[in-house]
Amino acid sequence: MDNNEIWVYVETVGSRIEPTSLQLITKAKAIADGRKVVAVLPEASTIKAENSLQAYGPDRVETLVDDHFTNATDEEIADALFQVLDQNRPNSLLFPATILGRSIAPRLQAKLQTGLTGDCLDIFYENDLLVQVKPTYGDNVMCDIVCPEKRPQMVTVRPNTFRAEKVTDFQTKVVKASFTFHKEGNSQIIATDPIINSSSKLDDAKVVIALGRGAYSAKNIQLAQDLAAKLGGMVGVSRPLTDEDEFTHDDQIGIGGASLSADLLINLGISGAVQYTVGIKNAKKIVSVNIDKDAPIFDESDFAYVGDVTDFLTALTAQVR
Amino acid sequence: MKIVVGIKQVPETDSVKIDPNTNNLVRSGIQGIINPFDKNAIEAALQLRDQAGGEVILLSMGPDSYTTSLRDGMAMGADRAVLVSSRAFGGADTLATGYTLAKAIEAIGDVDLVLFGRQSVDADTGQVGPIVAEFLQFPQVTFAETLELDSEKTLVAKRQLDSAVQDIKLTLPAVVTVRKELNTPRYETPVNIKESFEKPITIWTEADLNLDLAKIGQAGSPTKVTKVYAPTKDVKKTVTLSPDPAQAVSELLSQLD
Ligand SMILES: Cc1cc2nc3c(=O)[nH]c(=O)nc-3n(C[C@H](O)[C@H](O)[C@H](O)COP(=O)(O)OP(=O)(O)OC[C@H]3O[C@@H](n4cnc5c(N)ncnc54)[C@H](O)[C@@H]3O)c2cc1C
Ligand SMILES: Cc1cc2nc3c(=O)[nH]c(=O)nc-3n(C[C@H](O)[C@H](O)[C@H](O)COP(=O)(O)OP(=O)(O)OC[C@H]3O[C@@H](n4cnc5c(N)ncnc54)[C@H](O)[C@@H]3O)c2cc1C
Repeated sequence: MDNNEIWVYVETVGSRIEPTSLQLITKAKAIADGRKVVAVLPEASTIKAENSLQAYGPDRVETLVDDHFTNATDEEIADALFQVLDQNRPNSLLFPATILGRSIAPRLQAKLQTGLTGDCLDIFYENDLLVQVKPTYGDNVMCDIVCPEKRPQMVTVRPNTFRAEKVTDFQTKVVKASFTFHKEGNSQIIATDPIINSSSKLDDAKVVIALGRGAYSAKNIQLAQDLAAKLGGMVGVSRPLTDEDEFTHDDQIGIGGASLSADLLINLGISGAVQYTVGIKNAKKIVSVNIDKDAPIFDESDFAYVGDVTDFLTALTAQVR
Repeated sequence: MKIVVGIKQVPETDSVKIDPNTNNLVRSGIQGIINPFDKNAIEAALQLRDQAGGEVILLSMGPDSYTTSLRDGMAMGADRAVLVSSRAFGGADTLATGYTLAKAIEAIGDVDLVLFGRQSVDADTGQVGPIVAEFLQFPQVTFAETLELDSEKTLVAKRQLDSAVQDIKLTLPAVVTVRKELNTPRYETPVNIKESFEKPITIWTEADLNLDLAKIGQAGSPTKVTKVYAPTKDVKKTVTLSPDPAQAVSELLSQLD
């Protein structure tokens, strides 16, 4: 059976919901144009991630509940999803382009005999056709890909490409999908060790004050930390400052560090190298301070102050209650 | 152990540009090289062969020019190569590529392990490995950063996720895709280069494989590339604040909500 729904795969590792899945629910709602948005969630019985998913307002959550999902392999997850998706054949199926998403989606694609576009940076509808925008040649070339005949139209989408937004008036239906967990004898996850990565906290901070090489002084660091505390935010840095004693790699923003989703980001003495700016493109309001009026960071900014970091920070500290 | 390594030949990506007038890829004069991650897959295969004995077979689907990369791989030490090549395979997306490679692996026969790079550096999908695994009904580890023989019939690999590291045990036959962190590929030696010209490259067309013709090439490819273009950079509308710091801050605070 074909239907016109957009399905989003919800990835979980332990009790952690992959943020990209939430971002995809919000994006799916934005492009839905009357289509229903359905979150498909394999989970162990104790996890109950549907409770936190509802706040993002999918029309429905299809839960696949089985305690084997605590340690399920790619093969087992793809098999379970296939049982549910083969019956339903939605219009589209969105996966996070995480390691797991990029491993499970192609196995499922082969079972469903449909198309899959990897690592998309944008998706939109032209009638019922999902246009899938994908970078190639190391992000130097973009291409549009479609899957005209087969359903679902499958994509994996790069993390932090879209923002997750909670909604206030959700009416989410939670449904238990029927399927049978098939244990696969030929592969087994024998250990799972969590990685403690505090830079993920920077990813989620609502306010970020970012210091670059042009802001590096004891006084500026103090001012920035006090201001961040006042605003309920965090201090982050460009890469050169991670070589200094005050900061570590966990504080780094950019391609090798955090991808921000802040409501407000203040860049201080940062030039705006592309390795830095890929980490800030999802920040909502960007304010930048630089003595060089031609600094590339201003192209990415909503507000520009051409001048000295200390002058600006001092004035800001004085006026923020 | 009979090990197959999937090899893709790719353009040196640093030199690929879009012609702003025609919106086509400018590829003239670009050298084809082995997809860099595939060298890590070859290295892993050679190490396992050295430990357990057996044979390393390179497998590629593509035009005749791909023999360049197959020779390079044999100069690293692989034993022989298979090139699946014919017009009928042209225009394949990952599904049709995966199907064709799976059929070729069945034709090679009694394969214990299939290794791939984590992804190609041109189309960049990383999908071919898992698709082949699905068609062959083999278990998989993707993005492996360690890979060790655990017993004659089992391997253990490590895979790093965003918030955890998994140790996965596989019973052979299996598919593994590898990251560059796995190893450092060996250099070709003069002796190996010389020998590589004596090693056989078998060429198969659709007639040599037990295939469903509807599943290969363009016909077997559900996806279509409709447009290729240079990325656009959107420059934001920027409000420039007053040069006086106190004035600048009050302007800013009045405009932030
Ligand atoms: C493979 C690779 C990966 C990388 N990954 C990252 C990454 O993840 N994150 C990252 O940040 N970088 C990364 N980099 C480095 C990146 O290319 C830049 O070198 C770095 O971001 C520059 O940091 P910056 O803007 O703080 O310093 P600079 O480029 O030195 O800029 C300092 C700026 O401060 C301004 N300035 C100086 N004095 C003042 C003052 N008193 N008041 C106001 N402004 C002032 C200057 O005009 C200048 O624009 C990477 C590089 C490579 C090659
Ligand atoms: C600009 C562009 C974008 C594309 N986007 C998509 C897309 O989103 N979805 C899609 O289905 N197809 C896409 N394609 C088609 C895709 O490039 C081909 O199907 C290709 O043959 C295999 O995909 P890949 O390069 O992504 O390989 P990957 O899956 O990234 O390669 C992983 C590994 O598989 C092995 N491998 C890959 N190709 C071969 C081969 N021909 N022979 C032997 N081993 C191989 C190598 O070991 C390689 O390291 C695109 C093509 C282009 C030109």
